[in-house]
Amino acid sequence: MAGMMRWPVLLAVLAASPVWAQTYASRLTAVAYDGAMRANVQGDGRATATLDGKTLTVTGTFADLPSPATSASLYSGTGIGIPGPAILELKLNGQTDGSLSGSFALNAKQLAALKLGHVYVQINSQKAPDGNLWGWLLPDHPFAGANVPVEGHGFLPQLDVPGNWTQK
Amino acid sequence: MRGFGLTVAVAAMAVASLWIASAQTTEGPFTEAQATAGRAAYAANCAGCHQANLAGAGEQPALAGASFMASWGKRSVKEFYDDIRSTMPYGRAGSLDAATYQNITAFIMTANGAHAGAKPFDGGAGVKVSAIANGQIPADIAKPAPRAAAAPRAPGMKLGQTLVGNIKNYKPVSDAMLVHPDPNDWLIYRGNYQAFSHSGLKQINEKNVGQLQLKWSWAMNEGGQNATGPTIHDGIMFLANTSNTVQALDAKTGELLWENRLGPVATRAYSALRSLAVYEDKVYINATDAKLYALDARTGKVVWKTEIADSTKGFNETGGVIVAHGKVVVGLTLCRGQMPHCFISAYDARTGARVWKFQTIADKGEPGGDTWKDVPNDMRAGGETWIAGTYDPDLNITYWGVAQSKPWMQASRRSGNAATLYANTTLALDVDTGKLKWYYSHAPGETFDLDEVFERVLIDHGSQKTVMTIGKAGILWKLDRVTGKFLDAKQTVFQNVYSGMDMKTGQLTFRPDVLAQRTNTWISACPSAAGGHDWPPTSYDKANDLMIIPLDQSCNMMLGHDVAQHTGVVQPEGEERVFFMPGTDGNMGRLAAYRTADMKPVWSFQQRSPFLTGVLSTDGNVAFVGDYDRVFRAIQTTTGKTLWTVRLPTTVQGNPVSFAVDGKQYIAITTGLGGGSPFSKPSSMLGEVHNPDHGHAVYVFALPDQAN
Repeated sequence: MAGMMRWPVLLAVLAASPVWAQTYASRLTAVAYDGAMRANVQGDGRATATLDGKTLTVTGTFADLPSPATSASLYSGTGIGIPGPAILELKLNGQTDGSLSGSFALNAKQLAALKLGHVYVQINSQKAPDGNLWGWLLPDHPFAGANVPVEGHGFLPQLDVPGNWTQK
Repeated sequence: MRGFGLTVAVAAMAVASLWIASAQTTEGPFTEAQATAGRAAYAANCAGCHQANLAGAGEQPALAGASFMASWGKRSVKEFYDDIRSTMPYGRAGSLDAATYQNITAFIMTANGAHAGAKPFDGGAGVKVSAIANGQIPADIAKPAPRAAAAPRAPGMKLGQTLVGNIKNYKPVSDAMLVHPDPNDWLIYRGNYQAFSHSGLKQINEKNVGQLQLKWSWAMNEGGQNATGPTIHDGIMFLANTSNTVQALDAKTGELLWENRLGPVATRAYSALRSLAVYEDKVYINATDAKLYALDARTGKVVWKTEIADSTKGFNETGGVIVAHGKVVVGLTLCRGQMPHCFISAYDARTGARVWKFQTIADKGEPGGDTWKDVPNDMRAGGETWIAGTYDPDLNITYWGVAQSKPWMQASRRSGNAATLYANTTLALDVDTGKLKWYYSHAPGETFDLDEVFERVLIDHGSQKTVMTIGKAGILWKLDRVTGKFLDAKQTVFQNVYSGMDMKTGQLTFRPDVLAQRTNTWISACPSAAGGHDWPPTSYDKANDLMIIPLDQSCNMMLGHDVAQHTGVVQPEGEERVFFMPGTDGNMGRLAAYRTADMKPVWSFQQRSPFLTGVLSTDGNVAFVGDYDRVFRAIQTTTGKTLWTVRLPTTVQGNPVSFAVDGKQYIAITTGLGGGSPFSKPSSMLGEVHNPDHGHAVYVFALPDQAN
C-alpha cells in the first residue's frame, strides 16, 4: 500500500538517501501541559546540533525556568512530537537560566532517529522533574519572519511520512 | 424514549457503581463556608458551560462523578485549583480573585462527596482528591439540570422583540438570486452555495486597500461565543448575536432597523451562531436551544418556529443553516448519547414543517450499522453537524461534513478501528428527500477529536465536478462530487497521527501505537484538537484557482478514560495536554494558498497567533483574515503579502464578508471571544497575548469617499 513503510525499509532508504541536513535546531518550549502544570513548565530556549559523520555536537541555552534545572538529555520517540526515553545525557550549566551541551558518537539507530526527526532535547527541573522544556531537533531552516510569505509549503517537517500527499 | 433527566440519574448511579465507596477518611481541606460560597460562585461563573449539575457538555468536561475522579482522583486539590485558576472561566482565565477560585474548588470537592473540615483552603493543599472525595454526587446537585440559570453577561437582558422594523420595498430573495448571488449582497454563509467565501467586487483592490478606513461599528451582545458572519441583502445587514439575538442594520450607516431577542441567553461556550440565512421575505436562524426560526425580514417578527430537537435533552445548534430549493437545511450538535441520535433535517421554508431527516449515526441493522463493532445503540454518540452544508443546484445535492464519534478515543469508545459511520464523512444528500446519494469516510476510527466536519467547497475543473474540504488533521481532500470517488489529498500542516495514505483510495493508516492505544495512557497527536484546520473557513479565488486556508499549529497529548457502557450520556471522556508543534518555532498561525487543480502549495506564511476568522478573497486580488492577537489584515491573494492591517479591540473572530451599497464596497468583520479549541489553545499557550474579555462587535471598513 502506497505510503506504508516498515523500519528495515526506512533504514535502507535513509542509507541510500542523498545529502541529509547536517545542522539541526529547535526552539525549546514547554512540555505538554494542562492548567495545573502550566506554572511549572514555563521558560524558553534554543538548541542546535551539528552532525559530522556520526558525531553529533549539541549546544543550547535556556532561560526563565520557574525552578532550577536538574538534568537535560536527548530523548527519542517513535515519531516527531512523540515522547520517548532518554538516550544521551547532556551537560547542564546554570539553574533557571543556563546552557546545555554534549558531543556523541551516534549508533545506527540513533542516527536514523535523528534524521527522521525523532530526537528531541528535554530539560527537567525541580518543579517539573518529568520535563520542563523540550524541542525536537529538525533540519535547520531559515524563518522568513512573521507574516512573510514563502513559496510553497515553507518548512513542513513531514520527514517520516512518505508519500506524495506531503510533497511540494 | 429515555429522557435526559433519567439518563443523568442513570449516569449518577453508574458513577456510584464505578467508584467503590472507599469512604473517605480525611476531611476536606476547606470549610463549609467556602463550599457554600463556592456553590454560588460556580453558578455564576461555571454552570453556563459545565451545567448546574456539573455534568459538563461539549468540550467542557464533567466536574463531578466518575469522569472527574478519573481525571483528578490521583492529583491533588492544589493541582485542581491551579488548573482552574489558570484556565477558567472560559475566555476570562484568571479573572476571578483567589478566594473565589478557592471557594469554587471547595464546592467541586463537595460535589464529589468530600466533606468540609475546619481549616480553610488557601490553595496549597497537597492532599489527593481521592483521599477526600469518592465521586458520589450529592442528590441536591445531581438532580436533572434545568437550562443553565447562570447570570447572563448582559445583565437585565430583556427577551423578545425590542425594536419592530418597518423596512420598505424589501426585495424577496429568490432561488435564482441564491444560485447567482449579486456581488453587492452577501446572501449565504460563505458567499455562495459553493462556499467560495469570495466577493466579485473589486473597488477595493491591491493598490488601494492600504487606504481602508473604519466607516462604522456596532457593539454586539456579550457572553457566549461570537463567531458569526453578517448576511447582507439590498443594503440591509442581518446579524446574529450571541443569546440568539437577531438584528437588522442599515449596512451603510450601522443604524438598527429591528431587533428580536429570541433567547435563551448565552450561558455556555456552545452558543455561537455562525450564520443565518435569507430567502424570500424571511430570515432563518437555528437558535442554540435547537429551535428553527423564520423571522419577517422587514419587521423582525417571528413568522414561525419549529423544534429541531428537544433542548432539555442537551441538544444544541451552532452551525447556521442553508436554504436550498425551498428548504431550510440544518444540522445538530451536542449529541452525547441521548436519543435520538444526531441528524440533519430539512424544513419547508414557508411553513416550517419538517420535510426530511437524515440520521448521522447508524444503528445496528441499518446501513452502516455494522461499523461500530459491538457498541450498543445507546452508546453510539457524536456525529454532529455543526457547520452548515453547501449545495449544487444542478445536481440538487447538499453536501455536509459530519463530526467525530464519541467518546473521542477508540479505546474509550470500544469501537476499535471501525469507521463508526457516518462520523467523519462527507455526506451527499438529495436536498428534496434527504436520501443519501453517497458518502465518503475520511477518517475511519478517528480518535483524537480531529474531525472532518467543515465546509465542503464545490469546485469545477472543466467538466470535473469536485468537492474539497479540509478537516482538523490538516489534510486537504478532493473528491468527485457526483460519485464520491477519492481524487487527491495534500497535507497542509505537520501531522503525526497517520503514517500513510493510499493515494488511490485516500485510505489513511494510523500510526501503530495509535492502533494499539489503551485507556488511561497518554498518546501524542499533532495537530491538537484545535485542528490543523478548524471552523474558520477557507476561501476559493476562482480566477487564480487558489484556495486560501487558515491553519493552526499545535499538538497535544491525549488520554482516554474508561467509559461505562449503557449510561446513555457519553462525553468526550478524556484529558488533554498541549504543546507547541515541532518545527514551527512556536508559531501557531499559518495561512497557506493551494492551487486546487493540482493541489500545489503556492505560498504560505506563519505567525505567532492563530487565525480565528475565515478568509475572504475578492476580485480585487485582496484577501482578508483576522487573528487571536486582534489583527485584521488584507493580503495580496496571489502572493500572501500583507498590504494593510488594523488592530481591533479584541480577538478578531468570525467570517469576513464584502458587500456594496450605492456603489461603494465595504468589508465587514466581527470581533469575539469563545470559539472552542481554536480560541482556548492560544489563550493557554500564548501568555504574552492579552485580550480584553469583552468586545463583541462588528466593524465595517471602506475606502475614503474620494479614493480611487
